[in-house]
Amino acid sequence: MQMPVLWVPIAIPLLAAAALLSVPRRFLFAKEAVSLFAAALNLVAAWTLFGKEAVYAAPWAGLGAEFSLRLYHFSGFIMLAAACFGFFVLVYSVVFMRGKDHARSFFVFFLVSLSLTNGAVLADNLIVLLFFWEGLLLTLFGMIAIGRPQAFRTATKAFIIVGICDLCMMLGIGLAGHLAGTLAISAIRLPLDALGGLAFVLLVIGAISKAGSMPFHSWIPDAAEDAPLPFMAILPASLEKLLGIYFLARISLDMFRLTPASWASPFLMVIGCITIVAAVMMALIQKDYKRLLSYHAISQAGYMILGIGTCLPVGIIGGLFHMINHALYKTCLFLTGGSVERQAGTTNLEGLGGLARKMPATFACFLVAAASISGVPPFNGFFSKEMVYEAALERNFLFYLAAAAGSFFTAASFLKLGHAAFLGPLRQELKSVRETAWPMLLPMLTIAGICVFFGVNNSWPLEHLIRPVLGPLSAAGHGSPGVPGEHMLVIVTAVILLGAFLNHVAGAAMAGSGLKAIDHIYRAPVLSGIYEKAQRKVFDPYVAGMKIAENFAKFSAAVDRKMDVFYDKGIVAAITAAGHRLGRLHTGNYSTYIIWAVAGMLLALVFVAG
Amino acid sequence: MTMEMVLLLILLAATVWTVMTTRLLRAVIGLALTSVILTILMYRFGAPLAGVFELSVCAGLIPVIFVTTVSFTQRLTPEKLVVRKKERMLKFWFLPVLIVLVGMVLTQVHVTIDFPPVSPEALRTDPRAILWNLRHLDLVGQIAVLLAGVFGVVVFFKEDPSCR
Amino acid sequence: MATLLILLPLAIIMVLNLPFKDAFKRAAPFLGGCFYLLQAALVVFHPAAFWDDIYNPLEAFFAFECSTDALSLVLFLSIAIVGFVAVLVGAHALKNPRQRFFLINLLLLATVGMNANVMVTDLFSTYVFLEVTAVASFILIAMMKGEGALEGAFKYIILSVIASVMMLLSLALLVLVTGQTSFEAVRAGLGASPESLFVKMAMILFVCGLFVKGGVVPFHAWVPDVYASAPSFVSVFLAGIVTKVSGVYILMRLLVSVFGFEASVQQVIMFVGALSIVVGALAALAQRDFKRMLAYSSISQVGYIVLALGCGTPLAVAGAAFHLFNHAVFKSLLFVNAQGVEERCGTTHMEMVSGLGSRMPVTGWTSVIALLSTAGVPPLAGFWSKLLIIMALLNASRYGYAAVALFSSVLTLAYFLSMQRRMFFGKPHKGMENIREAGPVIVGVEIILAGITVGAGLLYPLVLEYFILPVQRVVG
Repeated sequence: MQMPVLWVPIAIPLLAAAALLSVPRRFLFAKEAVSLFAAALNLVAAWTLFGKEAVYAAPWAGLGAEFSLRLYHFSGFIMLAAACFGFFVLVYSVVFMRGKDHARSFFVFFLVSLSLTNGAVLADNLIVLLFFWEGLLLTLFGMIAIGRPQAFRTATKAFIIVGICDLCMMLGIGLAGHLAGTLAISAIRLPLDALGGLAFVLLVIGAISKAGSMPFHSWIPDAAEDAPLPFMAILPASLEKLLGIYFLARISLDMFRLTPASWASPFLMVIGCITIVAAVMMALIQKDYKRLLSYHAISQAGYMILGIGTCLPVGIIGGLFHMINHALYKTCLFLTGGSVERQAGTTNLEGLGGLARKMPATFACFLVAAASISGVPPFNGFFSKEMVYEAALERNFLFYLAAAAGSFFTAASFLKLGHAAFLGPLRQELKSVRETAWPMLLPMLTIAGICVFFGVNNSWPLEHLIRPVLGPLSAAGHGSPGVPGEHMLVIVTAVILLGAFLNHVAGAAMAGSGLKAIDHIYRAPVLSGIYEKAQRKVFDPYVAGMKIAENFAKFSAAVDRKMDVFYDKGIVAAITAAGHRLGRLHTGNYSTYIIWAVAGMLLALVFVAG
Repeated sequence: MTMEMVLLLILLAATVWTVMTTRLLRAVIGLALTSVILTILMYRFGAPLAGVFELSVCAGLIPVIFVTTVSFTQRLTPEKLVVRKKERMLKFWFLPVLIVLVGMVLTQVHVTIDFPPVSPEALRTDPRAILWNLRHLDLVGQIAVLLAGVFGVVVFFKEDPSCR
Repeated sequence: MATLLILLPLAIIMVLNLPFKDAFKRAAPFLGGCFYLLQAALVVFHPAAFWDDIYNPLEAFFAFECSTDALSLVLFLSIAIVGFVAVLVGAHALKNPRQRFFLINLLLLATVGMNANVMVTDLFSTYVFLEVTAVASFILIAMMKGEGALEGAFKYIILSVIASVMMLLSLALLVLVTGQTSFEAVRAGLGASPESLFVKMAMILFVCGLFVKGGVVPFHAWVPDVYASAPSFVSVFLAGIVTKVSGVYILMRLLVSVFGFEASVQQVIMFVGALSIVVGALAALAQRDFKRMLAYSSISQVGYIVLALGCGTPLAVAGAAFHLFNHAVFKSLLFVNAQGVEERCGTTHMEMVSGLGSRMPVTGWTSVIALLSTAGVPPLAGFWSKLLIIMALLNASRYGYAAVALFSSVLTLAYFLSMQRRMFFGKPHKGMENIREAGPVIVGVEIILAGITVGAGLLYPLVLEYFILPVQRVVG
């Protein structure tokens, strides 16, 4: 059945972007109005299309690459989510980008990104998918490059890293198409043998690099500092996560039909666990609001990969639920970061403090989102994490341990972030800070509201959004919505969270003599007893443990920087050296050139004769 | 050793001498000598027409032009001559090496006549006729090459009246 | 009638050089431009009366052996586009009417050679017209009589002679085997002895000669010296089309119509192609001069075409032909950008030029389009040709070569991005704050070429139907 209506979500933002480019610079309000209108229209279109099924196919690039789009539950769901975030972040950006350079370029890139995301989600042909996927690379580059003056370097780095991963994916797509004999995603079924396995790994590299997993993450923290903030909220925090995990799910569920017995399952789980733990360790020692959040954006991707990697229905559902939850709270967190940046003029934690009194609404949003990401019940992150835990525990205790450790450190680092930015004494230079404007507040409040809704009423998103994705698979009985099935796990989680909280209290107390003053929370009568016990070294083994953790955090951060150096300097240096050596061979002496040519000819002759 | 082999070796010697000598006049003589030997070879291989062309143009006309040009130049001083000789040696040291190398490779490759002889119907038209008579299109090409040569001379050697 | 594409430029040259008044000679660029436009129009609108082999008195008189197919059409179009650009930019850059006049004549002469090469059906004629193009190119390179340009032209002559020697030797061997020089007869003659080592040697010699002409590693060494020292508008012509026709296209034609794809020759071609891709891209990274970098990039991109060609499947050859067309467009565009920068700043050295993006926005953005197309980013035309090449390599189970081709795109991106950053982004150097956008002719040409790149990418289904599939049928 031909449904040209599927063109609509691709065309709306694209046309709006084209219109923006043709609007004269003088009509600034028109630029914002057009963008908002397009994003709203896109949201309406996505809402209308959600839950319907449709296909559209047109002859296109030949050789099996026909322009085929497919709308079904999963793609409709991702598209709806992307449209929501697009709309919210755009509302926010209208104020945030006011008066900044390149505002028009930003909106154009933004709308084009939306269009490309819709296209990539709807694509039912690998080449079509690649077309939109690589297009996103351009908007990624453009959006980072229009940030701070020194952002071009970061943009180049992101472009190269993501570009290499996209090329891997291109190779994987070619290989998969060659092996399967078709390029239609819904028709590909491949076994995980030698070549099929290679194709799988290459495709996974493409998918998880888009999701921002390790070891392809190192541009994200830099971009967090250099790019305009709404970029972080829309691309790495939401659209790219949605796309990457969507495609990972398509690869593992549809194209390769992973089973828990195959080698690919532990492969994905190990990547997920390493990402969770290593990235969160780095987050612990960050001193910048946005940079800290960006490490969490990496770490949380690990939970989704772990969940899907378990190949158990409950894990997959948990992973996908975590994907949408993460997009919600991380977008919200980045938006609070943007508010702080705009109002206080800095995101360096050493220059912040006590903002809760000046920006109560922002603080409230932060609290909800931070509680969600830390997995505090009854917010949404709690439920999705519980499902991932359950699946991880069923596969192997070690995976569960890694995930639980990640949870602990996540909670710890958000306690630190909230404490440093919003609590504590108000700094002298922040006295005149005011609450953000309502167009920026509104998206944050809405998203925070959805976080609460998805948590308290978690059966609704699970039943209506996630579960239909798996279809008959979810009939296996795992993971009933509502209260998590495994009560033991819930208790362990509660203990972990409590531990994190106590740890923070103790830590703040000990550091209190130095930089950070002790806030009234720590003097609260209920907690002071624990606090005194901490002073009397009741928690001593714990302090030692923290020391180890701290060292490990430093170590992994060092490794992370080394990896960055590897990408940034090592490879570049090796290549440049090779290039210089080759360039120096061109002496300008034509007799040398003759020797090369004749030698080449002789070698060719010998090869053919031999 | 056949006569052809001897001639080919002399040809090789003449070309090397042409390149290696430091006097332009000697180089021109070497070039003419090369052409003469080539003419003899062509004659022996049964291409008298090509031989005559080679003799008249490459051994006759071109050296005359070269000698005329050389007569306008000045001789080098002896010191410069020494330097020039050294430079030349440095620049073309590889020539003998290259020749030896090519020879070695070619002796390693045992090329035997491993194809059937040309079929009689393909030979119905004489190869010489193919290479010399049936070439209307190449005539256009030769006109074009000549034109290009004329343009080259004009561009490089004719003074631009507007530049004076 | 297609032979008119050889005779017409020749006739234009003759008429121009009749002793008319100077005022007439000033119209030379106009006439030249019109010829290229006519050629492009003939390809695009494809009037059957022109292309079909209908008897007409002209051809009866000249008795030429020519033929055209879909592959030739792609080349005719590329020649027309690049020639038109070279005429416009050259006429704009040369203020002296005399030089301008000679430029047009020489461009048309080189075009005679290339157009003939595209449609001849005889090995010896191929050689003759190669020389026509080559001689015209030598003079073009050295036209401004700069020291570097003369040196570059000399190197090109020497290396071309080596190539000619290889090809003539091969021709002699082939005549020995088959007794003929026409494509058809040689093909039939070679078919009689498929296992002959002698024949393989002859093939590889010819192929090596073409490698020199096309500038493929390790036969490439003249390329950077020549492209960097020639005037930019000549480099447009050389890099855009001359080396592509006289090296790559003839290789394509010979493999498809004469030699066939022999396994060991195929392996040599593919290896050399892959080597060129990598070496060219690596060397480009280390360059500090824009034009020299473009020259190395050219080597790398020719490597893609040669690699695909060596693969030998119909799809691969079609991909190679499309990449050849794309390369003609985007490399011309980049050299036109170089011309614009050279005109305004007096140099193309990357350390001395910076922050031009804000001063020369059109030049900056069109060069971004060209570099993205070179690197193969959708939706530009370069993406499709690279995709075709890689799909073809994978389908032929050449996984290693596919990976090499793919990952060299990263190097391409790297060197172009570093160029872009140095030259167009950032703050302008002292003394460069008042630089203006290049002249209207340059800007116009840049926009046209960028438009072709974007258009061919967006309208890819049309390109597929009218160019790629027919080329595939020629091979298959």
